[in-house]
Amino acid sequence: MDITQPYPSDISRPLVALMKGVVFRDNDPALWHLLEESQMAVRDYVRVMGLDLMLDTAEGYAWLATREPEQGEDPLPRLVGRRQLSYPVSLIIALLRKKMAEQDAAGEDPRLILSVEEITDMVRVFLPASGNEAKMMDRINTHLNKIADLGFIRRLKGEKDKIEVIRILKAFVDAQWLSELEDRLKEYQAHLEDGNDSGSADVSHTDPSGGSDMDGNIDSTPTGDRGGG
Amino acid sequence: MDVDYDTLQALRKTHPAWKLLVADHSPLIAAFLQHTFIVPNQRRLSRADLASALEDLLFTLRETQGKDAFPRSAQAYLDDWAGEDKGWLRKFYPQGSDEVHYDLMPAAEKALSWLESLIQRPFVGTESRLMTIFDLLRQMVEGTEKDVQVRIQELEKRKAAVENELALVRSGRVDILDDTAVRDRFLQVSQTARELLGDFREVEYNFRRLDRKIREQITLWEGSKAQLLADFFGERDMIAESDQGKSFTAFWDLLMSPARQEELTGMLEKVFDLAAVKALSPDRRLKRVHYDWLSAGEHTQRTVAKLSGQLRRYLDDQAFLENKRIMQVIQQIEARAVKLRDQMPQGSIMEMDEASPDIHLPMERPLYKIPVKPRITDTVTLGDGSDIPADMLHDIVFVDRLTLKQRIRTALQTRDQVTLAQILFDHPLEKGLAELVTYLTLAAEDDNAWFDDTLTHRAVWTDAGGIRRQATFNAVIFSR
Repeated sequence: MDITQPYPSDISRPLVALMKGVVFRDNDPALWHLLEESQMAVRDYVRVMGLDLMLDTAEGYAWLATREPEQGEDPLPRLVGRRQLSYPVSLIIALLRKKMAEQDAAGEDPRLILSVEEITDMVRVFLPASGNEAKMMDRINTHLNKIADLGFIRRLKGEKDKIEVIRILKAFVDAQWLSELEDRLKEYQAHLEDGNDSGSADVSHTDPSGGSDMDGNIDSTPTGDRGGG
Repeated sequence: MDVDYDTLQALRKTHPAWKLLVADHSPLIAAFLQHTFIVPNQRRLSRADLASALEDLLFTLRETQGKDAFPRSAQAYLDDWAGEDKGWLRKFYPQGSDEVHYDLMPAAEKALSWLESLIQRPFVGTESRLMTIFDLLRQMVEGTEKDVQVRIQELEKRKAAVENELALVRSGRVDILDDTAVRDRFLQVSQTARELLGDFREVEYNFRRLDRKIREQITLWEGSKAQLLADFFGERDMIAESDQGKSFTAFWDLLMSPARQEELTGMLEKVFDLAAVKALSPDRRLKRVHYDWLSAGEHTQRTVAKLSGQLRRYLDDQAFLENKRIMQVIQQIEARAVKLRDQMPQGSIMEMDEASPDIHLPMERPLYKIPVKPRITDTVTLGDGSDIPADMLHDIVFVDRLTLKQRIRTALQTRDQVTLAQILFDHPLEKGLAELVTYLTLAAEDDNAWFDDTLTHRAVWTDAGGIRRQATFNAVIFSR
């Protein structure tokens, strides 16, 4: 009997793993090998669903991202959710990315491990001065938990105060993402200055044009709500 | 650098090896590091293992040196020794482990081998060293000779010497190395073999330094990438192409050849059987030193491969430009963030794709299930077919809490405090352990009662089977 299968059956395991999250070489070398072997088939398969296989052989991680629509193509509804990030969370992410770039430049070990205290010291300058150290640590820990949810950091087993920055951060926080953050901050800053000139106290609500501009930016992605819900 | 006053003064202040020698606890540090890393040729030890080994050593030392000899904990010493200002241990997180691991730093190893050389040296073999120098010089002279004629002459000379020796042996005249000469050579071999083992750490350290240096230059590089590569060693692997890299690769190839391995094993066997060598009572581990070389060399090999891979990735066009761009943008972000610190943007400001599609698996969640009420339809009968009297179930253990409470209250009418032991003295246990547990439960619920864990009381009773039983419990005091 010769039943022609459209796809090789050995793509199932890597495919299912990818649908559930990032695949790391170090976590399951056998699965990684399978994925590398069958990457063309996997790529074709997920393409149908408007997804793109992102595979970094050097760093050893792979994940599924929304495929950019080609010219003349209507964008498909997104299968990959988007998370809204608050300002402090975005800022900490940017600073962690900087640490990683610095570490790469220094040629140290590829594993970047920081203590919560180091991160607090790193962020302190950018947060409003507060006399309450414990409260600040609490708040930073809350932000860190959000970043851990995104899969960019994890707490070490046995040493809860130590945090490993996972190298996949590099893939998601690239120069483009960072310049976007910079642009948003620039807009916000300009908008604050405008507000101060017109003597308005509560900028974000009394200045409709500026407010809608910012909201517009955030909501412009069709699935902005999907990700949150 | 000259060995002059200023240089030495600086070295004493900054060099980890010298710092180790003049450290207050240097005998402790050196002895410990020697026995944990050098002797077993250990390349990485977890914090827990290292700390417990040190704790053991400290314990035995305190017995002979007095309790206050080493006041700090093992962990504190390790932290100190791995600290920036000491630099005797390298602290790192190996792949796949969340526990800090340690390796010895090459400088510390240097201090240790010097200390070792102070102790064991039965005699200094000078002959074998001179032979080695002759041999090395000959290799260099012959190896760099491009003139074919000269080379042929050299080889002919050696051939003549070998034939001369052959003729001597054939005529029955065999030169035998005397015992002193054997011992001289053996000591030389043994020392070189151990030094080689120590060198691996330094080789690896050199690779790390090289890697750091290259990355530093890449980061500071202002020109084009092509020019950057041209300024180094060309398109090839920068680490493998360094002097250190080439020498190490040659060593590794030599060691990895199976014929060499066999030859080494065979020769070491034979040498260890020589009477002159036996008389030295050599370290048996030397017999398998080539396996130690292999494992140490493999460690270095892996480090080099890892560093090369990372460096290539770092040099990759995209990463190279991206990193520069990233550092610039983040600087701008930081500058803005400082200005915004008292008026931070509220709500969400950025968004981020998740790392996988948004899939919910409803069937993986447990569905609502109607709780099942068991209905027992079987009838259980006693042997004679009659129904089981329900009283039996209640008879097994029934402790009347109210009665017990009443007893406590009565006892407290005449005094401010009463212990459970006193109550039990007045009212011996009738229902055994169940009754005692009920008393203890009452005490736990009673805000005016407390347990005294410095004092134990004992209760004694006779169970239904006529066996005497006893229970020990923490003293309980009831008060008004």
